[in-house]
Amino acid sequence: MRNKLQMAFALAGLFFVAPVQAGDDIEGLARTCYGCHGTNGVSVGQSMPSIAGLSADYLKTVMMEWKSGARASANMTRLISGYSDAEIAGLASYFSKLPWTPQVQKTSKETLAKGKAASDRCESCHGVTGGEPDGDDIPRLNGQWAKYLELELMKYRDEAFQMSHKKMIKNARKLDEGEVNSVAEYFGAQSK
Amino acid sequence: MSQFNRREFIKTLAAASSASALAFPSIARAAAKARVIVIGGGYGGATAAKYVKLLDPGIDVTLIEPNKTYTSCPLSNEVISGYRDIKTLQIGYDGLKKRGVNVLQDLVVGVDRAKKTVTLQGGKTLQYDAMVMSPGVEFHYNTLEGYSEAVINDIPHAWKAGEQTLILKKQLEAMPDGGKFVIVVPKGPFRCPPGPYERASQVASYLKHHGKAKSKIIILDANDSHSKKGLFQQAWKALYGFEKEGLGTSGMIEWVKASEGGNVNKLDAATKTVHSDFVDLKADVLNIIPPHKAGKIAVTADLAKADGWCKVVPMTMASAEDEAIYTIGDSCVAGEMALYGNPNANFDMPKSAHIAMTQAKVAAAAIVAKVNGLPTPTPYYANTCYSIVDEGYGFSVAHQYRVVDGTFKYIKEGSGISPMAMPDKSPVPPIYRKLEAEYADGWLRNVMADAFG
Ligand SMILES: Cc1cc2nc3c(=O)[nH]c(=O)nc-3n(C[C@H](O)[C@H](O)[C@H](O)COP(=O)(O)OP(=O)(O)OC[C@H]3O[C@@H](n4cnc5c(N)ncnc54)[C@H](O)[C@@H]3O)c2cc1C
Ligand code: HEC
Ligand code: HEC
Repeated sequence: MRNKLQMAFALAGLFFVAPVQAGDDIEGLARTCYGCHGTNGVSVGQSMPSIAGLSADYLKTVMMEWKSGARASANMTRLISGYSDAEIAGLASYFSKLPWTPQVQKTSKETLAKGKAASDRCESCHGVTGGEPDGDDIPRLNGQWAKYLELELMKYRDEAFQMSHKKMIKNARKLDEGEVNSVAEYFGAQSK
Repeated sequence: MSQFNRREFIKTLAAASSASALAFPSIARAAAKARVIVIGGGYGGATAAKYVKLLDPGIDVTLIEPNKTYTSCPLSNEVISGYRDIKTLQIGYDGLKKRGVNVLQDLVVGVDRAKKTVTLQGGKTLQYDAMVMSPGVEFHYNTLEGYSEAVINDIPHAWKAGEQTLILKKQLEAMPDGGKFVIVVPKGPFRCPPGPYERASQVASYLKHHGKAKSKIIILDANDSHSKKGLFQQAWKALYGFEKEGLGTSGMIEWVKASEGGNVNKLDAATKTVHSDFVDLKADVLNIIPPHKAGKIAVTADLAKADGWCKVVPMTMASAEDEAIYTIGDSCVAGEMALYGNPNANFDMPKSAHIAMTQAKVAAAAIVAKVNGLPTPTPYYANTCYSIVDEGYGFSVAHQYRVVDGTFKYIKEGSGISPMAMPDKSPVPPIYRKLEAEYADGWLRNVMADAFG
């Protein structure tokens, strides 16, 4: 752990280095993500994911897969080659140290019940509420935007969209069409 | 936690050095560390005010904006087509006030750069140590014969969102099937490079879904090409029967470039007829986007010296004319435009809300560093513009810029448009267009909150 003053420097984005030197002014770079991912990586837009508080391992893996082409995306692929590997690691570390901020969304009782039932298949990896992932390579789902989760499930389920994680792909495709929305809303409604 | 540390950090700094007093002599006497005035509460100004305060709560920040409520231009084309309520685009200044920004509802009418003061219409004169200038654009109606501000309720521009957007929407709704909706596009640079073509698409979507598919949308363009042209034409072909470029083609949308008569030079407002060198066209609904340049107050302050735009120092967004003033957003030109005769220039930053906000953050960090006697932080600039062409069909462009050796550098490998085709040349699966249509709304909510929240 860095000392308090260093930490404060980093938080204030006031580490100063020559341009295009990797990874040293991460907060300044991170601020360019806020337009899409929200101030400090906490999204208030339903289709955009919060990225603050996801594990560094997951964040880095996802970004490096976009960079290598192993994983498709509608937006991030285009941006990611603009960052060095060191910057990507720095961004992953930066956002992972911010707190996970669930946006607890309301949904109907029926949807919750249906979603909970469908989530049985998810529990072993994501935890009952999506908030206790069984490993650093698994993202939190509790209080992530349901709309975003639904779109992600759509990607895992669509053969035309190249995702990388075989088990997650398999699990997403086992859901019935009608369960996709409710399981997403179930996780979106969880605070912890 | 971060808040606490940040304050402590600033306190430590203030105690440890008197550098701030050196950078800004007047502040040694003032209660606050420094006074920052922000002109304009649009995307650029709001973001700058918020981030100066976030990075150093000890700085006194005053934002001056004449309107009580801001209406976002981004996604306002969706209001015209009826997909979106204009209320979803409106936001006030309470969020900034809660963060400790003084918000004055007034208009800046004068800037005395020697004395570092601004004068407000209401009569006040305020002193600044640093100023952020983000007044957006001013329309130059008189560059088109027969056109003036007096006709805009009849011939709306809808290029500053609000009442104008609603007028255009009403006119569209009243237009009969078979009518002509004409969009006149000025010579670039103009704010939101893909905006006119997104508007044409939204109007087409409205017409198609409201039983008025015999209508025409004719874009008379003072330019020979435009942003995301390939993507737009691909979408127009798929959705609206676009045939090919040029007037008199068979699709719902016709695009007429400058060299083929798109360059409108005269208006007969009474009959809604526009004239170019080769074309005379009578419209049912006429939407003229007026030529524009830097906001008037930037001109008054003698800062808009690059062909009517404000030139900046790439590391900080400070004006090339005055190091105490940071000129950001639509009113600046960031990058060497080919227009200015630089043969090596391959870009200039597009005029977008997204870029205005990253410019604002660079300026805020530079100001805070200067006040605290610290070296200039590394600047990062980025742009994104989503365009929605129909329900569930969107695409985007992204740009990144850094500063190398004191000049802007376009980061080509971190930029680009949505794919036209997959790497194996097969068509792009519909899920991509669907995702981007969804992301546009999420982006909007986040930029609004990041700027005003
Ligand atoms: C139809 C349309 C669609 C668009 N879509 C997108 C999009 O999808 N994505 C995107 O990123 N961008 C988009 N844009 C562009 C975006 O709106 C602008 O780039 C952005 O608003 C620029 O911010 P700004 O702060 O420079 O200016 P503005 O947002 O125009 O704000 C300027 C403010 O300054 C105030 N002001 C002016 N003069 C004074 C004065 N003398 N004293 C005090 N206050 C003053 C004005 O009242 C105004 O509120 C779109 C624009 C249009 C027209
Ligand atoms: C133009 C908008 C935009 C910008 C700017 C942007 N992102 Fe994203 N990001 C998205 C979208 C959209 C997704 C959803 C995946 C996709 O691209 O299809 C996403 C997804 C992600 C994810 C995956 C989240 C998850 O739960 O799986 C990460 C990590 C991420 N972005 C990191 C970043 C970082 C770091 C930055 C800044 C350096 C950034 N993004 C800037 C739009 C953006
Ligand atoms: C075998 C373990 C496993 C199971 C079971 C599983 N997941 Fe996942 N899930 C993962 C992993 C690992 C990832 C990250 C995958 C990647 O990198 O693409 C993930 C990612 C996701 C994401 C993307 C989140 C984001 O932030 O982008 C969603 C949504 C999701 N899972 C939902 C579900 C649902 C719903 C179920 C049950 C139907 C489920 N998962 C079952 C392991 C699992």
